[in-house]
Amino acid sequence: MSQGTSRWRALAALLRPDTRRWVGLGALVGASSALSLTGPLVVRRIVDVATAGVGKHGTAGRITALAILFLVIAVAAQLITVVVAWFATVTAWRTTNQIRIDMSRHVLGLDHEFHRTHTPGELIQRVDGDVTSVSDFLGRVVPKLAGAASLVVGMILVLAVVDWRLAVGALVYVGAAGSLIARGRHRAVGEASDEMGAYARLYGGIEERLTASEDLRANGAGRHAMWRFIDESAGALRSSVRRESAFLRLWWAVQGSVAAGAVVALVAGTALVTSGAITIGTAFLLFQYTLLLERPLEDVIHQLETIQKANGAMVRVIDLLAVRPTIIGDGVTEPSTGALRLDLHHVGFDYGDGEAVLTDLDLTIAAGRSVGVVGRTGSGKTTLSRVLLRLVDTTSGELLVNGVPVREIPLASLRRRIAMIPQEVELFSGSIRDNVTLFDPVPSDAAVAEALSKAGLDALVDGGLHRELGAGGAGLSAGEAQLLALARVWLRDPDLVVLDEATARVDPLTESMLDDALLALMRGRTTVVIAHRLSTLRHVDDILVLDHGRVREYGERTVLALDPTSRFHHLLQIALEPGADSADELELLS
Amino acid sequence: MNKNVNENVNENVNKNVNKNMNVKMDVEMDVSAPSVPGVWTLAWRVAQHRRGSFWLGWFLFLLFFCFPVLNGWLLGRGFRALQLGHTTQVYWYAGAAFATDMLRMTCIHWGALVWTQVWVHMQSFLRANLLAAQMASGGAEAGRPVSSAGEAITHFRDDVEDVTMFVDGLVDVSAGTVFTLLAAFVLGSIDSGAAAILLLPLAGVAVATRALDRRIKRYRSADRAAAGAVSGFVGDLMAAATTVKVNDATEPTLAHLRRLVDARRHTAVRDRVLDDGVQAFAQGAADVGLGLVLLTTAGALATGAFDVGKLAVFTAYLGWLSFLPRMVGRVLARRKQAGVAFERMRGLVANTDVRNTVQARHLPIARGETNHRPDPARPSRVALKELEVEGLTVCYPGGAGVHDVSFRLRRGSFTVITGPIGSGKTTLLRAILGLSTADEQAGVVRWNGRPLTDRAAFLVPPNASFLPQVPQLISDSVADNISLGDAPIQSLELALQLAAVREDIDAMPEGHATLIGPRGLRLSGGQRQRVATARALVHSPELVVLDDLSSALDVETELQLWTNLAAAGMTVLAVSHRAVAFDRADQVLALDAGHLTPFAG
Repeated sequence: MSQGTSRWRALAALLRPDTRRWVGLGALVGASSALSLTGPLVVRRIVDVATAGVGKHGTAGRITALAILFLVIAVAAQLITVVVAWFATVTAWRTTNQIRIDMSRHVLGLDHEFHRTHTPGELIQRVDGDVTSVSDFLGRVVPKLAGAASLVVGMILVLAVVDWRLAVGALVYVGAAGSLIARGRHRAVGEASDEMGAYARLYGGIEERLTASEDLRANGAGRHAMWRFIDESAGALRSSVRRESAFLRLWWAVQGSVAAGAVVALVAGTALVTSGAITIGTAFLLFQYTLLLERPLEDVIHQLETIQKANGAMVRVIDLLAVRPTIIGDGVTEPSTGALRLDLHHVGFDYGDGEAVLTDLDLTIAAGRSVGVVGRTGSGKTTLSRVLLRLVDTTSGELLVNGVPVREIPLASLRRRIAMIPQEVELFSGSIRDNVTLFDPVPSDAAVAEALSKAGLDALVDGGLHRELGAGGAGLSAGEAQLLALARVWLRDPDLVVLDEATARVDPLTESMLDDALLALMRGRTTVVIAHRLSTLRHVDDILVLDHGRVREYGERTVLALDPTSRFHHLLQIALEPGADSADELELLS
Repeated sequence: MNKNVNENVNENVNKNVNKNMNVKMDVEMDVSAPSVPGVWTLAWRVAQHRRGSFWLGWFLFLLFFCFPVLNGWLLGRGFRALQLGHTTQVYWYAGAAFATDMLRMTCIHWGALVWTQVWVHMQSFLRANLLAAQMASGGAEAGRPVSSAGEAITHFRDDVEDVTMFVDGLVDVSAGTVFTLLAAFVLGSIDSGAAAILLLPLAGVAVATRALDRRIKRYRSADRAAAGAVSGFVGDLMAAATTVKVNDATEPTLAHLRRLVDARRHTAVRDRVLDDGVQAFAQGAADVGLGLVLLTTAGALATGAFDVGKLAVFTAYLGWLSFLPRMVGRVLARRKQAGVAFERMRGLVANTDVRNTVQARHLPIARGETNHRPDPARPSRVALKELEVEGLTVCYPGGAGVHDVSFRLRRGSFTVITGPIGSGKTTLLRAILGLSTADEQAGVVRWNGRPLTDRAAFLVPPNASFLPQVPQLISDSVADNISLGDAPIQSLELALQLAAVREDIDAMPEGHATLIGPRGLRLSGGQRQRVATARALVHSPELVVLDDLSSALDVETELQLWTNLAAAGMTVLAVSHRAVAFDRADQVLALDAGHLTPFAG
């Protein structure tokens, strides 16, 4: 129950920015209900006129006039329905679009670890799918629920004017039906949420397989993929049937109430007519009102799925919003300007599974130096880069940036001053310009073109900055994508750059053409270069060799390269061993 | 009356009695032209996927719609008895009316349970056909690969739903027709003039619907496109979360998202208002109908010839009567949507032939059915003696591609492809393997001298395997990612060994049963690459094709890998830039701008 309350409170909080629009919508819905209630009153009058005036002169004329009035009301009621739909949709989308933006911002602010354990497909479902369920709820269900509620209230008021006993009877009836529905509803929420989960798994799995489609096709894994899909579909089927069963109980409650209501209206009406308390017209009004209730109630139960979905969706939206990042940027100390100096004091890190990825790293990277990090895969190189960028927080020890503990630096100003070129570059469906600026409208086209050409992508500039890339950056090779990421950094001019295999997918020829660009990039900044390919490291000042998360060696590149006992020297030897045809790697020894 | 509760996403539209006749004509036309199956034929095949359940569900709904006729009639008798002062009779009629309502609900209860299963079966069936086409390695079933998974997912979700909604609507229409015919009989026998006048407002709706049909379709597809743009961008954004974060780009990207969601709001509002407008018109028609009945019977009411009982029957039926025209209207709109959906889904299946979206297939997903782990279904092994590539050409629009590439490689040899960025290395590998999607392709690939007609189907394990430049893993165990279903444990361990990843995997708490998370993100970049390499080796393929490995491996590991592969006697075709590869290679093929050039060393 408390969860339910907090859910509604959270919903109310989400609606608050558009309060005036929602109030306006309420007024429209009220007007619509008033018109719906007036129609049956006209019919009641017709019945009474007809019963009382059988055979009298003028009765037919009066009935005709009333029938015309009824027609006018019917038309007006439908016109106002359309206005309600328009206004409700506009308002619902306004509100939920804001929620989409807020959720995206929230999710983007969550830890690296969160993104490591949630597929983009799943997050699309959360940020877009679930919010669309809420939007449907607000735009379709809320107006209908409000319509049903105002109809009931209006009905009881009208009945109270006619005969107070009718009003009391209706009140008891509505209360009983309402509590039945409310009770069933809670039971159904859990199933709806389970079903959404099953479908999120199903679609997440499909998305993942489509992403890996080339891998799966080329390795003949079609049947295996289908086998998993069938499992997930079976799960979806089971959860759908369970949800439907839960929903049916609700349905019985709603429909049972209407059916019983119609009978009770007839029986009670008969008793009151026989005792002379009401006219036959009023008994007919009771009958009409129960039928009138049926339509919005049916509408509501048609929408119960949306209510359930939205309820499940709300739970997940709120759950997601409740996930707090552990990387919090509430510090207030700004490190001094210029290239950044990094001090690692006994830094250790694990991903929460007790397996140390980094152990007792104790080193200093002086401002403006460039450090090449080498080590076998799994030695902790990428994790080190995440620590330096504060994508993760150290499990033990401390990282100082220009002497300031990294946790005391406001996250926004830290991020403004650092940049990373990752191993796997993520691109957006959008123009080339958008992909370089990441949708920032501020940089001029000339600046973007310059950054691209510095990164060796003149060819892209020639093709036009506003050329659209397909989804996921279709149209660029993996190597070009890495160069594009380099251009992103040029544009931002940071004080610390981490290149994590940034040119790994660029062939050596292109890489050597990029040499000047990389040298220029390193000038005046602190640079950390992670590379498998040793030739990439020919310009760095220092070399850090990591081994199982520990510092194996750390020193000047030229010194280590010439020291025959060093690990780095050994690595160079392997790279050169078969035949010293790679002048690039020889250079490292010089 | 919505038996299917899933129906909430697309609340659409209107109604039209006359259109119902067009519906029947369309069916006939489509059947007479089997070469291009229409939406009706396709929907029929979807409906018949689980024939027994479908007809059972249909029958229960038909029954369900018969009860309100009886119920309304009983209530009418009750009011008549009330007017005549027969109090006891009123109670009897009221009780009987309540009983029919309970029967009606029992029908819908079972109907809904059956229908939910039919609904999920129909959807799974369509999804299975799309996915199978996307997963097939060559052969008759294979469809053209989609360019973006995020975008393609809308086919699996929204388009599939549109098609099933259409089938759902057809069931509604047939049940509504039964009710309408029965009700028309009862009303006609009470007052044929008053019953006939009810047709008037419904005909009005028919005209309006026809006028709005095309616009409904246009608004709908604009809305779909806007929705696709939003979810596509959200997907990009979530995949690139770290990039966005470290580049301090949250606000600019969100500003772009705002532009997209605002655009979508406009399309959604337009779509919805038109939908609801037509629907309100339909509902209003029922009330207008009652008004017209009151007008025409004013004289009879005044004389008492048209009594309260008769009025009660009319009133009771009117709410239900608007169901059929409304559903017919909806079905017409859904037919359009289903047409659009089939048109979009067509792109995913073999030969973009829409018939392949409704190919019959058995899906063991119902309760009590077991989903057996499938047979590997791989081609039989043909020992490789020599692979010959002759005149291979692939042209992409804009001139990129490879041109007239020819080379041979022997069993047990090591061939390295190298070249600058964009020189066509990956394109060449994909072309050889039959994975290229370019329209313009030429050249022959011969296996032991015999030309391969369907390369994509033949060049899979155990004949060939492929490691893409950026390999993709799936959220499953290490073992399942490597074996993809069917490898003995010894082969698995050997592959791990060869790919130099065994140590890493053995160090994990659950060994190769370790779950690697979505897209394998719980592994490091290098581990992912090596697990994917093991995947390429696990079936001891005759030919191993490896796209640029060096990018993700350190030089020591790469060296170890080449040594391992040579020791295992594997035939390897690989892209590399490293001296360690060149020195071990039997031949080095240098590519420049899509042409083979002499290797300079």
